[in-house]
Amino acid sequence: MTSSLRESHASSTESWPARAWPLIWPPLATALIAGIVWEAVTVIFAIPAYFIPSPSRIWEAFWGAPGTLLWHAGITLLEAVIGCLIGSFLGALLGTAFAYWRLLSRGLLPFVIASNTIPVVAIAPIIILWFGHGIESKIAVTTFLCFFPLALNMMKGLQSYDRVIMDVFHVAAATPLQRFFKMRLPSALPYIFVGTKINVSFSVIGAIVAEFVQADRGLGFVIMTTYRTLNMPRLWAALIISALIGLTFFAIVSLIERFVIPWHSSMRTET
Amino acid sequence: MRAGERAHTKPSAAAPVGTGVAFENVSVSFPGQADHPPIQALDGVSLEVPERQFVSLIGPSGCGKSTLLRVISDIVEPSEGAARIDGRAPRAARLAREIGFVFQDPALLEWRRVLENVALPLELAGVATREREERSRELLVLVGLTGFEAAWPRQLSGGMRQRAAIARALATRPRVLLMDEPFGALDQITRDRLNMELVRITEATQATVLFVTHSIREAVLLSDRVVVMSPRPGRIVSVIDVDLPRPRSLATRDDPRYIELIKAGAAELEKGYSHHDE
Ligand SMILES: Nc1ncnc2c1ncn2[C@@H]1O[C@H](COP(=O)(O)OP(=O)(O)OP(=O)(O)O)[C@@H](O)[C@H]1O
Ligand SMILES: [Mg+2]
Repeated sequence: MTSSLRESHASSTESWPARAWPLIWPPLATALIAGIVWEAVTVIFAIPAYFIPSPSRIWEAFWGAPGTLLWHAGITLLEAVIGCLIGSFLGALLGTAFAYWRLLSRGLLPFVIASNTIPVVAIAPIIILWFGHGIESKIAVTTFLCFFPLALNMMKGLQSYDRVIMDVFHVAAATPLQRFFKMRLPSALPYIFVGTKINVSFSVIGAIVAEFVQADRGLGFVIMTTYRTLNMPRLWAALIISALIGLTFFAIVSLIERFVIPWHSSMRTET
Repeated sequence: MRAGERAHTKPSAAAPVGTGVAFENVSVSFPGQADHPPIQALDGVSLEVPERQFVSLIGPSGCGKSTLLRVISDIVEPSEGAARIDGRAPRAARLAREIGFVFQDPALLEWRRVLENVALPLELAGVATREREERSRELLVLVGLTGFEAAWPRQLSGGMRQRAAIARALATRPRVLLMDEPFGALDQITRDRLNMELVRITEATQATVLFVTHSIREAVLLSDRVVVMSPRPGRIVSVIDVDLPRPRSLATRDDPRYIELIKAGAAELEKGYSHHDE
């Protein structure tokens, strides 16, 4: 028994590149194959670049002005990160209040759900009207979008504790604060990560949509302007960068999750 | 008398009068579902358990065994009567961290390693890190989990998890140890082994033990007294004194008196089942 335990520990202390490689090469291979097929199809069928630009054209468009594209990407990234942090934090606070105060959740939850069903494109102009034409309004739209997933998951998570464990804490004379930090919050962590992962995708969407409505910078602005001039390779380049931002964001959260809740069943490494 | 017998196997001063666990005419009723009348989980139960006695509770499902433990641990308040631990209300004993409870489900915190799980009650009591780690290591030795300090609960077998739960319940050196079918989900061999370890552990800890089980054999093997209960409403049908010599071992099972007591217990248990046939 002891030895098998040690073995499983040994395999998890392998150097990280060795462990990450099986996770990295399949998507890289997929991207490579898709890129080659895509390139071949556009060449063989002579598809015009404004319709579907080939990967090589997108690559050229990117390297034509890498600095400005990355600068725009940086703006969008900033809006997404700040909006995601503020929205997630506020959502988590409200979710906590909901979990502890039933009357509040009964009175307010229907409206929170209703507000979540409003399409972000419809609410964005209003928020921009309120918060002005700067970066603040883009952050506000992202915040709005990131509020709901964490509010709901925080509430569900805090309510998901085990009843018997609650009795264990009761018999051990735990204070309400101890119950929160040593039982309910740890039980909620898997839910919090579910909400956060939704938010990292939402935050990039929120920032770009807000930039569509009104902006003079950011990837949304690039997509909008390049569409008007039909500079499609550059539009595609912006699109791919935004996807890469979302992906990186998601990967970072997943990595943090691995460190924070290694005990959770979702973290079991299946082969 | 039985308590005295057990006491001389352990070094300790004579217990003062009025110590131990007492139920005085305890009734508990729960509101019934929809149109149904309230459920009388316990009806006027009186029982005295002198300090350091090991008492088993046995009876058909729904006769209020768990409810009895939940009353003495201040999880459920009796609708009538009172429970006492050393003459005090259960709440006082609970807040003084004198109660250890082992549930049927080990209920380990999956986000803590085994050692931190065992240390939990000490942590909640504000015991310093070094001291609680020392105590938890001792407890892991006591329950036979040496070497698993750093394991996650999900890496343990069912029996090992229950050992960890027992260690956790003992962490604050409780005067009263409550166990609600702790070995219900285990296979017979593991159960026998844990029974023998429980004999050793409880003799080492000097706690008063209330032990719920569905096995009359287990009850007789471990206890000084076996309390037989019947349901609807939950009552005590009879109390059997187990006059088997201590320390108990698996060899106790070859004692003819052991067989007799099991037969007597089974007969009493029968009554509980037939009494209120519905
Ligand atoms: N929280 C509760 N709400 C309503 N009814 C309850 C509650 N807890 C227990 N009861 C009822 O009280 C009665 C006694 O329950 P209890 O759990 O004490 O029985 P038990 O002897 O432990 O049974 P088992 O052997 O199945 O564990 C049952 O009829 C049960 O339905
Ligand atoms: Mg029960």
